Amino acid sequence: MERRRRNTVVFALVLMGSVLSAGSAAAQSCPVKIGGVLPLTGSMAPITKKIAQSAELAIEHVNQGGGIKGCPVQFILRDDQGQPTVGVDAAKYLVEVERVPAFTGTISSGVTGPIISSVTAPSKVVQITCCSTASPFTLDGRSGGYFFRTIPTSKTQAFATASETARRGMKKTVVIYINTDFGTDMLRFYKAAVAKLGGEVIAEVPYNDNQPSYRAEVTKALAAKPESLLLIGFPKDGVTIVREWLSLGGTKTIALNNSMRTMDFVNGVGAKFIEDVFGMDNAQVAGPHVDAFNTAFEEKFKTDTKGPGVHTQYDALMVMALAMNIAKDLTGPSIKDAVRRVHVSNGTPVGTGPAEYKKALELIKAGKPIKYFGATGPIEFDANGDVTGPALVWKVKDGQIVTDRIITIEEMQALFKRVEN
Amino acid sequence: MLAYLVFFACIVLILGVLTLALNLQWGFTGLFNAGVVGFYAIGAYTHAIVTAAPQPQYVGNFGLPWPVGVLAAMAATALAGWLIGLVTIRLRGDYLAIATFGVAVSIQLVALNWEPLTGGPQGLTRISRPLAQLFETPFGFNLWFLGLMIAIMAAIYWALDRVLMSPWGRVLKAIREDETAAVALGKSARRFRLEAFVLGSTLMGLAGALYVSFIGFVSPYDFLPIVTFQIWAMLIVGGSGNNRGALLGALVIWAIWAGSGVLVTKLVPPSHAAQGGAIQVILIGLLLMLVLLFRPRGLIGEAAVVSRHVND
Repeated sequence: MERRRRNTVVFALVLMGSVLSAGSAAAQSCPVKIGGVLPLTGSMAPITKKIAQSAELAIEHVNQGGGIKGCPVQFILRDDQGQPTVGVDAAKYLVEVERVPAFTGTISSGVTGPIISSVTAPSKVVQITCCSTASPFTLDGRSGGYFFRTIPTSKTQAFATASETARRGMKKTVVIYINTDFGTDMLRFYKAAVAKLGGEVIAEVPYNDNQPSYRAEVTKALAAKPESLLLIGFPKDGVTIVREWLSLGGTKTIALNNSMRTMDFVNGVGAKFIEDVFGMDNAQVAGPHVDAFNTAFEEKFKTDTKGPGVHTQYDALMVMALAMNIAKDLTGPSIKDAVRRVHVSNGTPVGTGPAEYKKALELIKAGKPIKYFGATGPIEFDANGDVTGPALVWKVKDGQIVTDRIITIEEMQALFKRVEN
Repeated sequence: MLAYLVFFACIVLILGVLTLALNLQWGFTGLFNAGVVGFYAIGAYTHAIVTAAPQPQYVGNFGLPWPVGVLAAMAATALAGWLIGLVTIRLRGDYLAIATFGVAVSIQLVALNWEPLTGGPQGLTRISRPLAQLFETPFGFNLWFLGLMIAIMAAIYWALDRVLMSPWGRVLKAIREDETAAVALGKSARRFRLEAFVLGSTLMGLAGALYVSFIGFVSPYDFLPIVTFQIWAMLIVGGSGNNRGALLGALVIWAIWAGSGVLVTKLVPPSHAAQGGAIQVILIGLLLMLVLLFRPRGLIGEAAVVSRHVND
């Protein structure tokens, strides 16, 4: 009995010890540490793989281009497993033990939310996410200005969707949406925009993810006798819903959101059944800065850059690295202010890739302003820490995903004015 | 480092309250509650709704002081536990597990869908944290919260110890071991089971209130079924039927969960960081299996109790 107890205590101590010793090597000037929290496992894992690779590529480019303040960058990536407690713990560890002044992450808004309230805002560290689009994060002041995102929020996408459905004359639309903050945001903004631009939503059907069948939701949606469908969700559930929708006689006029822009979705439903659909995504503005990223990514990972978050994650880290070079010291408050100086209107344009990064460092060293054009285009944060961006309309043709047309940044800005005023 | 350990300890103690509550239900009474997270959620949301700063779009958010929130959370969970217990408590073993699991999933879905009250998927923020305005740094607040947690834990531990040593506690064990025999001795198994269920649920509600007042944010994603699994793993690994075991289990499992992530970042080269997550999950599973292989009754099993009259 006594021995058993001692063993137990020893076991606990060893565990604690391994945690302790693991962290004691922190707090040095070189290398500069940047943290990352992403759901490498769990339900988001399929889309996270490319996002993590994109982060890896960004860090590689930063290091090849001269690092941060003369130091090489060490990227410490933690898994949040899509679970809030795990994500908060990982972020807290990065901030308190690894002493990172800034980190990137994460994807699910249910994990990003508690990280902002219990780590980012109280500890005054900069957080830049590639993917969390829940609108309140930047709007209600809870982040203290330390939270940024390189992905246009659901508002941009919802407005763009509404302008496209109006342009195509979609009428009597039923919206089936995933019941998450992303889905409810999209629906709210879409309805607001449709009211101004034309079209009508005749029924709203929320769904909860990971169900084996959505027959009940689809039947409910069809009962409203819709002429078109807007589906807001994720590929796995999207496949099930669209298949059931079509097999129950639903119209082929379907609009989709950004997450469905993957071959998993197209092949899952069967390309020949969805020739009439169109979807939205954040546009990859054409230009050398975009091509440089695409080429580098394809060369390194032997796969294309299609998929949510791939481009925005690269920009999140590039913006962070540039801001850390501009900041007078590597503390959260300095970096926070510097984030707004990576894209100055009279600055010298700099793009993606190690050579452009090196050029940016030289400009910064010379005290000159820069204007960063990233893998998603010009990265300029508004007062809340959000970006607006161009959108693209995609469709399925000959079994492939192709771009139908681009809604430029200027068009988006005009659209925002039209809807909001 | 210290700041992280304080934070880590706070989380462990909150999870420890949950594990102790489950130990009362499963370890001592044999109630297979597979819906731990549901009661945790009720406590968390009650506290959030009662204490969060008022916002026009929500019907709740009364902005009341922290202690009111905690008491309300416990009261609400006790009531929920009693109502759910009334209809399910007669179910044995796995049947109770299925029923409570269903209840927990329903509660999570209610939280997700009842937007005016719970904020729906957006969650609720600006939740009252005890005396937070007195502390300028997060470390100061966490340290104070840790002290508070230790005091609360000590009180719960002591109270549970007393209760379980009492005749009431012995009846619980008698029911767990042989319900027919306990009934034959004139004890109402149903009443005792219900009482243990409600008491355990109340503690789970308290844990929920403590969790949201520590994190300051609540959303339905905090209450996925995986949390129930984690609490069960803590109890089984630590030692079901032993409160010290339950607490040790909470520490060990959470250390494995968080520590394995640290280990992976130290051992896996950065070029393979994207695969690190999978390695971490494998590591967690492996450690759980090893503990159960070498200590099948848990790290600290239940102590054998022999009547002091045995030699009379």
